[in-house]
Amino acid sequence: MTAPEPANGRALPPWWAVLLVALAVAALAFAIGRFSTFAAAGAAAAPTSDSPEAGFARDMQLHHGQAVEMAMDIYRTTQNDGVRVLAYDIATTQSAQKGEFYDWLVKWGLPQSGGPLMAWMDAAGTSHPHGGGAARPTDAELMTQMGMASAEELAAMRAQSGTTADCTFLGLMIRHHQGALPMAQALLRLGHEPRALAVAQGVIATQSAEIDLMTSLRAGLGCTG
Amino acid sequence: MTPTPSDKKRTSGNPATRANLELTVKQQRELQKQEKLAEYQRQLARRRRSRLTWWIVGATAAVAIVAVVAASIAFAPKPVTYQAGGTGAAIDGVETFTNTTQHVAGTVDYPQNPPAGGPHNQYWLNCGIYDQPQQNEYAVHSLEHGAVWVTYDKTRVSDADLDALTAQLPSSYVILSPYEGLPTPIVLSAWNAQLKLDSAADPRIPSFFEEYWRNQNVPEPTSSCSGAVDGPGKQS
Repeated sequence: MTAPEPANGRALPPWWAVLLVALAVAALAFAIGRFSTFAAAGAAAAPTSDSPEAGFARDMQLHHGQAVEMAMDIYRTTQNDGVRVLAYDIATTQSAQKGEFYDWLVKWGLPQSGGPLMAWMDAAGTSHPHGGGAARPTDAELMTQMGMASAEELAAMRAQSGTTADCTFLGLMIRHHQGALPMAQALLRLGHEPRALAVAQGVIATQSAEIDLMTSLRAGLGCTG
Repeated sequence: MTPTPSDKKRTSGNPATRANLELTVKQQRELQKQEKLAEYQRQLARRRRSRLTWWIVGATAAVAIVAVVAASIAFAPKPVTYQAGGTGAAIDGVETFTNTTQHVAGTVDYPQNPPAGGPHNQYWLNCGIYDQPQQNEYAVHSLEHGAVWVTYDKTRVSDADLDALTAQLPSSYVILSPYEGLPTPIVLSAWNAQLKLDSAADPRIPSFFEEYWRNQNVPEPTSSCSGAVDGPGKQS
Protein backbone atom coordinates (compact mmCIF):
# COMPACT_ATOMS: atom_id res chain seq x y z
CA MET A 1 0.00 0.00 0.00
CA THR A 2 1.71 3.25 -1.13
CA ALA A 3 -1.15 5.74 -1.22
CA PRO A 4 -2.08 6.78 2.31
CA GLU A 5 -5.71 5.98 2.85
CA PRO A 6 -7.84 8.57 4.56
CA ALA A 7 -8.14 7.31 8.03
CA ASN A 8 -11.33 9.01 9.06
CA GLY A 9 -13.57 11.25 6.90
CA ARG A 10 -11.97 13.50 4.24
CA ALA A 11 -8.31 14.40 4.29
CA LEU A 12 -7.14 18.02 3.75
CA PRO A 13 -6.29 18.79 0.09
CA PRO A 14 -2.56 18.94 -0.66
CA TRP A 15 -0.78 22.28 -0.06
CA TRP A 16 -0.22 22.91 -3.74
CA ALA A 17 -3.93 22.65 -4.48
CA VAL A 18 -4.62 25.27 -1.81
CA LEU A 19 -1.91 27.48 -3.28
CA LEU A 20 -3.30 27.13 -6.81
CA VAL A 21 -6.81 28.00 -5.72
CA ALA A 22 -5.51 31.00 -3.76
CA LEU A 23 -3.55 32.12 -6.83
CA ALA A 24 -6.61 31.71 -9.03
CA VAL A 25 -8.75 33.77 -6.66
CA ALA A 26 -6.09 36.46 -6.48
CA ALA A 27 -5.74 36.56 -10.29
CA LEU A 28 -9.49 36.79 -10.73
CA ALA A 29 -9.66 39.62 -8.18
CA PHE A 30 -6.83 41.39 -10.01
CA ALA A 31 -8.66 41.12 -13.35
CA ILE A 32 -11.96 42.30 -11.87
CA GLY A 33 -10.13 45.22 -10.29
CA ARG A 34 -8.67 46.19 -13.64
CA PHE A 35 -12.00 45.83 -15.42
CA SER A 36 -13.68 48.04 -12.84
CA THR A 37 -11.38 50.91 -13.82
CA PHE A 38 -12.26 50.62 -17.52
CA ALA A 39 -15.49 52.57 -17.31
CA ALA A 40 -13.87 55.42 -15.40
CA ALA A 41 -10.90 55.48 -17.78
CA GLY A 42 -13.26 55.34 -20.74
CA ALA A 43 -15.30 58.22 -19.42
CA ALA A 44 -12.16 60.21 -18.67
CA ALA A 45 -10.59 59.34 -22.03
CA ALA A 46 -9.79 62.47 -23.98
CA PRO A 47 -12.04 63.25 -26.95
CA THR A 48 -10.59 62.18 -30.29
CA SER A 49 -9.71 64.35 -33.25
CA ASP A 50 -13.05 63.72 -34.99
CA SER A 51 -15.13 64.23 -31.82
CA PRO A 52 -17.72 67.01 -31.55
CA GLU A 53 -15.66 68.46 -28.68
CA ALA A 54 -12.58 68.84 -30.91
CA GLY A 55 -14.65 70.25 -33.77
CA PHE A 56 -16.31 72.75 -31.43
CA ALA A 57 -12.95 73.76 -29.94
CA ARG A 58 -11.49 74.42 -33.41
CA ASP A 59 -14.45 76.16 -35.01
CA MET A 60 -15.22 78.26 -31.95
CA GLN A 61 -11.65 79.56 -31.90
CA LEU A 62 -12.12 80.82 -35.46
CA HIS A 63 -15.55 82.19 -34.57
CA HIS A 64 -14.44 83.91 -31.36
CA GLY A 65 -11.31 85.19 -33.11
CA GLN A 66 -13.42 87.29 -35.45
CA ALA A 67 -15.58 88.56 -32.57
CA VAL A 68 -12.40 89.76 -30.83
CA GLU A 69 -11.20 91.43 -34.02
CA MET A 70 -14.52 93.23 -34.59
CA ALA A 71 -14.84 94.26 -30.94
CA MET A 72 -11.28 95.66 -30.91
CA ASP A 73 -12.05 97.59 -34.11
CA ILE A 74 -15.12 99.31 -32.70
CA TYR A 75 -13.43 99.81 -29.32
CA ARG A 76 -10.87 102.03 -31.04
CA THR A 77 -13.40 104.27 -32.78
CA THR A 78 -16.71 104.32 -30.93
CA GLN A 79 -17.90 107.43 -29.08
CA ASN A 80 -20.63 105.54 -27.22
CA ASP A 81 -19.82 104.37 -23.69
CA GLY A 82 -22.32 101.50 -23.83
CA VAL A 83 -20.86 100.18 -27.07
CA ARG A 84 -17.28 100.67 -25.80
CA VAL A 85 -17.79 98.67 -22.60
CA LEU A 86 -19.68 95.97 -24.54
CA ALA A 87 -16.78 95.78 -27.01
CA TYR A 88 -14.30 95.53 -24.12
CA ASP A 89 -16.39 92.76 -22.57
CA ILE A 90 -16.66 90.79 -25.84
CA ALA A 91 -12.95 91.14 -26.70
CA THR A 92 -11.66 90.09 -23.29
CA THR A 93 -14.24 87.34 -22.65
CA GLN A 94 -13.96 85.73 -26.05
CA SER A 95 -10.15 85.96 -26.02
CA ALA A 96 -10.09 84.10 -22.73
CA GLN A 97 -12.62 81.52 -23.95
CA LYS A 98 -10.69 81.03 -27.19
CA GLY A 99 -7.58 80.34 -25.12
CA GLU A 100 -9.46 77.70 -23.17
CA PHE A 101 -10.62 76.03 -26.39
CA TYR A 102 -7.02 76.04 -27.63
CA ASP A 103 -5.87 74.40 -24.43
CA TRP A 104 -8.50 71.65 -24.60
CA LEU A 105 -6.90 70.47 -27.83
CA VAL A 106 -3.40 70.74 -26.32
CA LYS A 107 -4.47 68.71 -23.28
CA TRP A 108 -6.25 66.13 -25.42
CA GLY A 109 -3.11 65.76 -27.55
CA LEU A 110 -4.92 66.85 -30.72
CA PRO A 111 -3.81 69.12 -33.55
CA GLN A 112 -5.41 72.55 -33.77
CA SER A 113 -6.22 71.82 -37.39
CA GLY A 114 -8.96 69.34 -38.21
CA GLY A 115 -11.68 68.47 -40.67
CA PRO A 116 -13.81 70.94 -42.64
CA LEU A 117 -15.60 73.67 -40.69
CA MET A 118 -18.77 72.45 -38.93
CA ALA A 119 -18.35 68.90 -40.29
CA TRP A 120 -18.57 67.65 -36.70
CA MET A 121 -22.12 69.02 -36.49
CA ASP A 122 -23.39 66.78 -39.31
CA ALA A 123 -24.39 63.98 -36.97
CA ALA A 124 -26.71 66.44 -35.25
CA GLY A 125 -28.55 67.08 -38.51
CA THR A 126 -28.01 70.80 -38.14
CA SER A 127 -25.84 71.18 -41.20
CA HIS A 128 -27.20 70.90 -44.72
CA PRO A 129 -27.26 67.37 -46.10
CA HIS A 130 -24.60 66.91 -48.73
CA GLY A 131 -24.78 63.34 -49.91
CA GLY A 132 -24.49 62.10 -53.44
CA GLY A 133 -20.95 63.37 -53.82
CA ALA A 134 -22.04 67.01 -53.73
CA ALA A 135 -19.13 69.31 -53.03
CA ARG A 136 -18.93 70.75 -49.55
CA PRO A 137 -19.54 74.48 -49.27
CA THR A 138 -16.44 76.66 -49.28
CA ASP A 139 -14.90 77.95 -46.05
CA ALA A 140 -16.33 81.40 -46.78
CA GLU A 141 -19.84 79.97 -47.17
CA LEU A 142 -19.47 77.94 -43.99
CA MET A 143 -18.23 80.99 -42.10
CA THR A 144 -21.34 82.85 -43.25
CA GLN A 145 -23.42 79.95 -41.89
CA MET A 146 -21.57 80.39 -38.61
CA GLY A 147 -22.81 83.99 -38.52
CA MET A 148 -19.36 85.41 -39.26
CA ALA A 149 -18.86 88.66 -41.13
CA SER A 150 -17.36 88.62 -44.61
CA ALA A 151 -14.20 90.54 -45.45
CA GLU A 152 -16.38 93.10 -47.29
CA GLU A 153 -18.66 93.59 -44.28
CA LEU A 154 -15.65 94.10 -42.01
CA ALA A 155 -14.14 96.58 -44.46
CA ALA A 156 -17.45 98.47 -44.66
CA MET A 157 -17.67 98.72 -40.86
CA ARG A 158 -14.09 100.00 -40.64
CA ALA A 159 -14.84 102.65 -43.25
CA GLN A 160 -17.73 103.99 -41.19
CA SER A 161 -17.62 106.14 -38.06
CA GLY A 162 -19.81 107.30 -35.17
CA THR A 163 -23.29 105.92 -34.71
CA THR A 164 -23.30 104.42 -38.21
CA ALA A 165 -20.28 102.28 -37.33
CA ASP A 166 -21.82 101.39 -33.94
CA CYS A 167 -25.03 100.24 -35.62
CA THR A 168 -23.14 98.17 -38.19
CA PHE A 169 -21.03 96.62 -35.43
CA LEU A 170 -24.08 95.74 -33.34
CA GLY A 171 -25.89 94.25 -36.35
CA LEU A 172 -22.89 92.12 -37.32
CA MET A 173 -22.23 91.05 -33.72
CA ILE A 174 -25.87 90.04 -33.14
CA ARG A 175 -25.69 87.80 -36.21
CA HIS A 176 -22.27 86.55 -35.04
CA HIS A 177 -23.62 85.59 -31.62
CA GLN A 178 -26.67 83.95 -33.19
CA GLY A 179 -24.28 81.80 -35.25
CA ALA A 180 -22.65 80.50 -32.08
CA LEU A 181 -25.91 79.16 -30.67
CA PRO A 182 -26.45 76.20 -33.07
CA MET A 183 -22.81 75.19 -32.59
CA ALA A 184 -23.15 75.17 -28.81
CA GLN A 185 -26.48 73.34 -29.06
CA ALA A 186 -24.94 70.71 -31.36
CA LEU A 187 -22.18 70.12 -28.82
CA LEU A 188 -24.74 69.69 -26.06
CA ARG A 189 -26.49 67.05 -28.17
CA LEU A 190 -23.38 65.23 -29.39
CA GLY A 191 -20.67 65.81 -26.79
CA HIS A 192 -19.72 64.01 -23.59
CA GLU A 193 -16.77 65.86 -22.06
CA PRO A 194 -18.16 67.55 -18.93
CA ARG A 195 -16.16 70.81 -19.12
CA ALA A 196 -16.95 71.25 -22.83
CA LEU A 197 -20.66 70.76 -22.14
CA ALA A 198 -20.57 73.26 -19.28
CA VAL A 199 -18.85 75.85 -21.49
CA ALA A 200 -21.33 75.24 -24.34
CA GLN A 201 -24.17 75.82 -21.88
CA GLY A 202 -22.46 79.03 -20.75
CA VAL A 203 -22.02 80.20 -24.35
CA ILE A 204 -25.74 79.77 -24.98
CA ALA A 205 -26.71 81.63 -21.80
CA THR A 206 -24.26 84.54 -22.09
CA GLN A 207 -24.47 85.09 -25.83
CA SER A 208 -28.28 85.02 -25.71
CA ALA A 209 -28.15 87.66 -22.97
CA GLU A 210 -25.70 89.74 -25.03
CA ILE A 211 -27.98 89.51 -28.08
CA ASP A 212 -30.75 91.05 -25.94
CA LEU A 213 -28.35 93.78 -24.74
CA MET A 214 -27.20 94.56 -28.29
CA THR A 215 -30.78 94.66 -29.52
CA SER A 216 -31.64 97.24 -26.86
CA LEU A 217 -28.44 99.22 -27.62
CA ARG A 218 -29.48 99.34 -31.27
CA ALA A 219 -32.91 100.59 -30.25
CA GLY A 220 -31.27 103.26 -28.04
CA LEU A 221 -29.03 104.40 -30.90
CA GLY A 222 -31.97 104.48 -33.31
CA CYS A 223 -30.32 102.01 -35.66
CA THR A 224 -32.27 101.06 -38.75
CA GLY A 225 -32.05 97.96 -40.96
CA MET B 1 -43.14 -40.78 7.31
CA THR B 2 -41.08 -40.05 4.35
CA PRO B 3 -37.55 -41.15 4.82
CA THR B 4 -34.99 -38.40 4.15
CA PRO B 5 -31.60 -39.48 3.21
CA SER B 6 -29.32 -37.99 5.85
CA ASP B 7 -26.24 -38.21 3.77
CA LYS B 8 -27.76 -36.14 1.04
CA LYS B 9 -26.90 -32.43 0.83
CA ARG B 10 -29.39 -29.57 0.73
CA THR B 11 -30.50 -28.97 -2.75
CA SER B 12 -32.21 -26.16 -4.59
CA GLY B 13 -34.15 -25.57 -7.77
CA ASN B 14 -32.05 -22.41 -8.47
CA PRO B 15 -28.89 -23.45 -10.34
CA ALA B 16 -26.86 -20.52 -8.92
CA THR B 17 -27.77 -21.31 -5.36
CA ARG B 18 -27.20 -24.87 -6.14
CA ALA B 19 -23.75 -24.00 -7.44
CA ASN B 20 -23.01 -22.04 -4.29
CA LEU B 21 -24.25 -24.76 -2.14
CA GLU B 22 -22.06 -27.09 -3.98
CA LEU B 23 -18.88 -25.01 -3.19
CA THR B 24 -16.59 -25.95 -0.40
CA VAL B 25 -15.89 -23.51 2.47
CA LYS B 26 -12.48 -22.76 1.01
CA GLN B 27 -13.97 -21.97 -2.31
CA GLN B 28 -16.54 -19.69 -0.69
CA ARG B 29 -13.85 -17.68 1.08
CA GLU B 30 -11.98 -17.35 -2.15
CA LEU B 31 -15.10 -15.97 -3.81
CA GLN B 32 -15.65 -13.41 -1.04
CA LYS B 33 -12.06 -12.28 -1.44
CA GLN B 34 -12.58 -11.85 -5.18
CA GLU B 35 -15.70 -9.80 -4.59
CA LYS B 36 -13.87 -7.52 -2.13
CA LEU B 37 -11.10 -7.01 -4.64
CA ALA B 38 -13.55 -6.18 -7.39
CA GLU B 39 -15.25 -3.67 -5.08
CA TYR B 40 -11.90 -2.12 -4.23
CA GLN B 41 -11.03 -1.79 -7.89
CA ARG B 42 -14.38 -0.21 -8.62
CA GLN B 43 -13.73 2.33 -5.88
CA LEU B 44 -10.28 2.94 -7.28
CA ALA B 45 -11.71 3.55 -10.74
CA ARG B 46 -14.34 5.90 -9.33
CA ARG B 47 -11.68 7.85 -7.48
CA ARG B 48 -9.57 8.00 -10.64
CA ARG B 49 -12.55 9.28 -12.59
CA SER B 50 -13.30 11.99 -10.04
CA ARG B 51 -9.63 13.01 -10.02
CA LEU B 52 -9.76 13.31 -13.80
CA THR B 53 -12.88 15.49 -13.47
CA TRP B 54 -11.01 17.71 -11.02
CA TRP B 55 -8.10 18.03 -13.40
CA ILE B 56 -10.42 19.04 -16.25
CA VAL B 57 -12.32 21.54 -14.10
CA GLY B 58 -9.10 22.92 -12.64
CA ALA B 59 -7.37 23.26 -15.98
CA THR B 60 -10.42 24.93 -17.53
CA ALA B 61 -10.65 27.35 -14.62
CA ALA B 62 -6.94 28.11 -14.88
CA VAL B 63 -7.18 28.81 -18.60
CA ALA B 64 -10.26 30.98 -18.07
CA ILE B 65 -8.58 32.98 -15.32
CA VAL B 66 -5.44 33.49 -17.38
CA ALA B 67 -7.64 34.64 -20.27
CA VAL B 68 -9.53 37.09 -18.05
CA VAL B 69 -6.30 38.52 -16.65
CA ALA B 70 -4.87 38.81 -20.16
CA ALA B 71 -8.05 40.53 -21.36
CA SER B 72 -7.97 42.94 -18.43
CA ILE B 73 -4.51 44.00 -19.56
CA ALA B 74 -4.98 43.78 -23.33
CA PHE B 75 -8.28 45.66 -23.44
CA ALA B 76 -7.36 48.37 -20.95
CA PRO B 77 -8.12 51.82 -22.44
CA LYS B 78 -4.93 53.21 -23.92
CA PRO B 79 -3.75 56.65 -22.89
CA VAL B 80 -3.45 59.14 -25.75
CA THR B 81 0.10 59.06 -27.01
CA TYR B 82 -0.09 61.41 -29.99
CA GLN B 83 1.13 64.89 -29.21
CA ALA B 84 0.60 67.67 -31.69
CA GLY B 85 3.65 69.80 -32.18
CA GLY B 86 6.45 67.35 -31.69
CA THR B 87 9.94 67.58 -33.04
CA GLY B 88 8.96 67.30 -36.68
CA ALA B 89 10.77 63.99 -36.96
CA ALA B 90 7.50 62.42 -38.07
CA ILE B 91 7.44 64.49 -41.28
CA ASP B 92 10.18 63.71 -43.73
CA GLY B 93 12.24 66.75 -44.67
CA VAL B 94 11.14 69.15 -41.93
CA GLU B 95 14.02 71.23 -40.60
CA THR B 96 13.82 72.63 -37.08
CA PHE B 97 15.71 75.55 -35.62
CA THR B 98 16.21 77.44 -32.39
CA ASN B 99 15.55 81.14 -32.85
CA THR B 100 15.38 83.95 -30.33
CA THR B 101 12.35 86.16 -29.94
CA GLN B 102 12.53 89.90 -29.34
CA HIS B 103 11.03 93.04 -30.81
CA VAL B 104 13.40 95.14 -32.90
CA ALA B 105 13.08 98.10 -35.24
CA GLY B 106 14.56 98.01 -38.72
CA THR B 107 15.65 95.04 -40.76
CA VAL B 108 16.94 91.73 -39.44
CA ASP B 109 19.45 89.39 -41.05
CA TYR B 110 17.69 86.03 -40.64
CA PRO B 111 19.61 82.72 -40.48
CA GLN B 112 16.95 80.88 -42.52
CA ASN B 113 15.67 81.68 -46.01
CA PRO B 114 12.80 82.43 -45.81
CA PRO B 115 12.92 83.22 -42.08
CA ALA B 116 11.41 80.72 -39.66
CA GLY B 117 11.60 82.72 -36.44
CA GLY B 118 13.91 85.22 -34.78
CA PRO B 119 13.79 88.92 -33.81
CA HIS B 120 10.85 90.77 -35.36
CA ASN B 121 8.94 94.02 -35.58
CA GLN B 122 6.50 95.10 -32.91
CA TYR B 123 3.77 94.95 -35.58
CA TRP B 124 2.73 91.58 -36.90
CA LEU B 125 1.49 90.99 -40.42
CA ASN B 126 -2.25 90.30 -40.54
CA CYS B 127 -2.77 86.77 -41.77
CA GLY B 128 -4.30 86.33 -45.21
CA ILE B 129 -3.65 85.79 -48.89
CA TYR B 130 -1.17 88.22 -50.45
CA ASP B 131 -0.09 88.49 -54.08
CA GLN B 132 3.00 90.56 -53.32
CA PRO B 133 6.13 89.84 -51.29
CA GLN B 134 5.93 90.74 -47.60
CA GLN B 135 8.26 92.30 -45.07
CA ASN B 136 10.12 89.54 -43.18
CA GLU B 137 10.10 91.38 -39.86
CA TYR B 138 6.30 91.60 -39.79
CA ALA B 139 5.66 88.06 -41.02
CA VAL B 140 8.06 86.56 -38.44
CA HIS B 141 5.98 88.17 -35.68
CA SER B 142 2.95 86.30 -37.10
CA LEU B 143 4.91 83.04 -36.95
CA GLU B 144 5.51 83.82 -33.27
CA HIS B 145 1.70 83.83 -32.86
CA GLY B 146 1.35 80.38 -34.42
CA ALA B 147 0.79 81.24 -38.08
CA VAL B 148 2.25 79.27 -40.98
CA TRP B 149 3.86 81.36 -43.72
CA VAL B 150 3.45 79.75 -47.13
CA THR B 151 5.91 81.27 -49.58
CA TYR B 152 6.21 80.45 -53.26
CA ASP B 153 8.43 81.36 -56.17
CA LYS B 154 6.30 83.17 -58.73
CA THR B 155 8.56 82.06 -61.56
CA ARG B 156 8.36 78.35 -60.67
CA VAL B 157 4.74 77.94 -59.49
CA SER B 158 1.96 78.04 -62.12
CA ASP B 159 -1.43 79.63 -61.47
CA ALA B 160 -3.00 76.16 -61.32
CA ASP B 161 -0.42 75.02 -58.76
CA LEU B 162 -1.01 78.20 -56.75
CA ASP B 163 -4.76 77.45 -56.74
CA ALA B 164 -4.05 73.88 -55.61
CA LEU B 165 -1.82 75.24 -52.84
CA THR B 166 -4.35 77.87 -51.74
CA ALA B 167 -7.14 75.27 -51.58
CA GLN B 168 -5.21 73.39 -48.88
CA LEU B 169 -4.82 76.35 -46.54
CA PRO B 170 -6.85 76.81 -43.35
CA SER B 171 -9.06 79.90 -43.14
CA SER B 172 -7.05 81.59 -40.41
CA TYR B 173 -3.49 81.83 -39.07
CA VAL B 174 -1.89 81.48 -42.47
CA ILE B 175 0.02 83.91 -44.69
CA LEU B 176 0.40 83.15 -48.39
CA SER B 177 2.79 85.36 -50.30
CA PRO B 178 5.27 85.20 -53.18
CA TYR B 179 8.91 85.35 -52.08
CA GLU B 180 12.02 86.11 -54.09
CA GLY B 181 15.07 83.89 -53.91
CA LEU B 182 13.46 80.75 -52.47
CA PRO B 183 15.57 77.56 -52.40
CA THR B 184 12.61 75.51 -53.74
CA PRO B 185 9.36 76.52 -55.53
CA ILE B 186 7.34 76.35 -52.29
CA VAL B 187 8.46 76.68 -48.66
CA LEU B 188 6.24 76.25 -45.59
CA SER B 189 7.56 78.08 -42.53
CA ALA B 190 6.32 77.94 -38.96
CA TRP B 191 8.12 79.24 -35.86
CA ASN B 192 11.35 77.19 -35.74
CA ALA B 193 10.23 74.67 -38.39
CA GLN B 194 10.40 74.65 -42.15
CA LEU B 195 9.58 72.35 -45.06
CA LYS B 196 10.95 72.93 -48.57
CA LEU B 197 8.75 71.59 -51.37
CA ASP B 198 8.84 71.20 -55.13
CA SER B 199 5.12 70.74 -55.70
CA ALA B 200 1.73 71.83 -54.38
CA ALA B 201 0.66 68.17 -54.63
CA ASP B 202 3.19 67.07 -52.00
CA PRO B 203 1.36 64.89 -49.43
CA ARG B 204 3.47 66.36 -46.63
CA ILE B 205 1.61 69.70 -46.86
CA PRO B 206 -1.42 68.55 -44.78
CA SER B 207 0.94 66.76 -42.38
CA PHE B 208 2.92 69.96 -41.86
CA PHE B 209 -0.27 71.89 -41.09
CA GLU B 210 -1.44 69.21 -38.69
CA GLU B 211 1.85 69.36 -36.83
CA TYR B 212 2.87 73.03 -36.95
CA TRP B 213 -0.18 75.19 -37.63
CA ARG B 214 -0.98 77.00 -34.34
CA ASN B 215 1.56 74.80 -32.61
CA GLN B 216 1.59 75.09 -28.82
CA ASN B 217 5.39 75.42 -28.72
CA VAL B 218 5.51 78.83 -30.38
CA PRO B 219 6.30 81.70 -27.98
CA GLU B 220 2.73 83.14 -28.08
CA PRO B 221 0.42 80.33 -29.16
CA THR B 222 -3.02 81.93 -28.74
CA SER B 223 -2.20 85.46 -29.85
CA SER B 224 -4.05 87.10 -32.70
CA CYS B 225 -3.09 87.08 -36.36
CA SER B 226 -5.30 90.06 -37.20
CA GLY B 227 -5.68 93.62 -35.98
CA ALA B 228 -2.11 94.73 -36.74
CA VAL B 229 -0.86 95.66 -40.22
CA ASP B 230 -1.99 94.61 -43.67
CA GLY B 231 0.88 94.21 -46.08
CA PRO B 232 0.76 95.22 -49.73
CA GLY B 233 -1.37 93.17 -52.12
CA LYS B 234 -3.78 91.66 -49.58
CA GLN B 235 -6.45 89.64 -51.39
CA SER B 236 -8.38 88.21 -48.43
